[in-house]
Amino acid sequence: MDDVLVIGAGPAGLSAAIACAKHGLSVRVVDEFYRSGGRLLGQLHQEPDGSWWNGIDEAARLDQEARSAGVEISAGVSVYNVNRIDNGWEVSTTAGEFHAPMLLLATGASETAVPVPGWTLPGSMSIGAAQVMTNVQRVRVGQRGVVIGVNILSVAIARELQLAGVKVDRMILPPSSAVTGHAGNPEAVMRSLLRVAHLAPSPFIRWGSQLMKSHWMQRLGVSLYPAKGFSMWDIPIQLRTGALEIVGSRQVEGVRVARITPDGQTIPGTEEVIPADFVCIAGGLSPLAELAAIAGCPFAYVPSLGGHVPIHDEKMRTPLPGLFVAGNITGIESAKVAMAQGSLAGLSIASTHGVLSDQSLIQQAIHQVEYVRQKATIQFHPEISSGRAIISQMATECMGI
Amino acid sequence: MDSHQLIVCRCEEVTLADLLETAQAYQCTGRELKLRTRAGMGCCGGRTCRTLLDQIIVQTTGQVPSHTVPLGYQPPVRPISFTTLGGR
Repeated sequence: MDDVLVIGAGPAGLSAAIACAKHGLSVRVVDEFYRSGGRLLGQLHQEPDGSWWNGIDEAARLDQEARSAGVEISAGVSVYNVNRIDNGWEVSTTAGEFHAPMLLLATGASETAVPVPGWTLPGSMSIGAAQVMTNVQRVRVGQRGVVIGVNILSVAIARELQLAGVKVDRMILPPSSAVTGHAGNPEAVMRSLLRVAHLAPSPFIRWGSQLMKSHWMQRLGVSLYPAKGFSMWDIPIQLRTGALEIVGSRQVEGVRVARITPDGQTIPGTEEVIPADFVCIAGGLSPLAELAAIAGCPFAYVPSLGGHVPIHDEKMRTPLPGLFVAGNITGIESAKVAMAQGSLAGLSIASTHGVLSDQSLIQQAIHQVEYVRQKATIQFHPEISSGRAIISQMATECMGI
Repeated sequence: MDSHQLIVCRCEEVTLADLLETAQAYQCTGRELKLRTRAGMGCCGGRTCRTLLDQIIVQTTGQVPSHTVPLGYQPPVRPISFTTLGGR
């Protein structure tokens, strides 16, 4: 039996495993994917200072560090149940049952689907699938694609596709419906895009983002938004074009689109079909917390963190004894925040296990998470800090600390 | 294609029209919507459409999401073989 079982070998899980192992605990990490690294594996982007963030290198570094610290990593293993037992947790996996007194859930996030008519045609995929095929499996997803859904994640991945030589013809919005929420509303999309405009390479967009800080300028910006869109890295982003349907007889052959009003209504007589052999649908991310739910952990609904997240305190402890969380399961943020949270969770586990001699390390790690969060280039949501405060408050009420 | 014929739950082939009509007619919870239409009860365990069902309930009934996860989770949370479950 191991001292600690970690579910998820992404940035959070591996960082936690390293911290635990360095304090003398025996640690096993399981992950559903056939190799470790989690969503780091797909990441490739340029930081504002010009340096490149290569997720594959980061994943290799963490994997190496974990293994040399003695961590056992089991890839290609799915967890389908967790049960609380007398002094710990029983975890059922496709490689058998594991038992450990301490369990860390670092299961990350899942993509939110955005149904578009025709989305069941072959050649239609989520933007995350396109990212994995391109950057991990090195498979060309198609010759000419359209991205439906404009958000921070999809702009970053469209850029990755382009770097790999895959043509992204344009990025447009999903149809406005009961299941697309704000994603089909140009004004709402414009507001969220402006939060990342400082990453845009074009000085013009940077200038535009300064101009559009006031609400009425945003409205004007959307109503005057050019039909061809603005380009980021030569990919046209067309906020005033909406997808009506993905078309094709046996596979994707194109997307039927129309011009849309600033609030997302289709403008009659503007329909056309854009040829494409693949379509990426981007609906954003939500915390993947199913194991926390079956473990019996209480939840909080916090939209700024991506939806329902397991309640946890600032030391990443849930109200259930021996159950910890770290990374995107606690709210959607960058991989760097996930790493900092993982290191903190690892120290917290070591402390609970009674092997952490220097308790001040935990306070340092808590500050480090906050520091990385404040420094993050990409804020997935402007209200992350207040969302975190809500969780802390609920943890205090729930855990009586 | 009529956008109302849009498939939301792929496993059980439940359309947006089915879901909207059911939610409007019964002004129900997400769980009742699931049980009435079978959306989210297919082999993937609702991994794709779960959040969409939540949104449909919010939009059609005006119910504010609570801190409780609207649709419960039951093990196994991944499709597994009978052999894995203990068979031979």
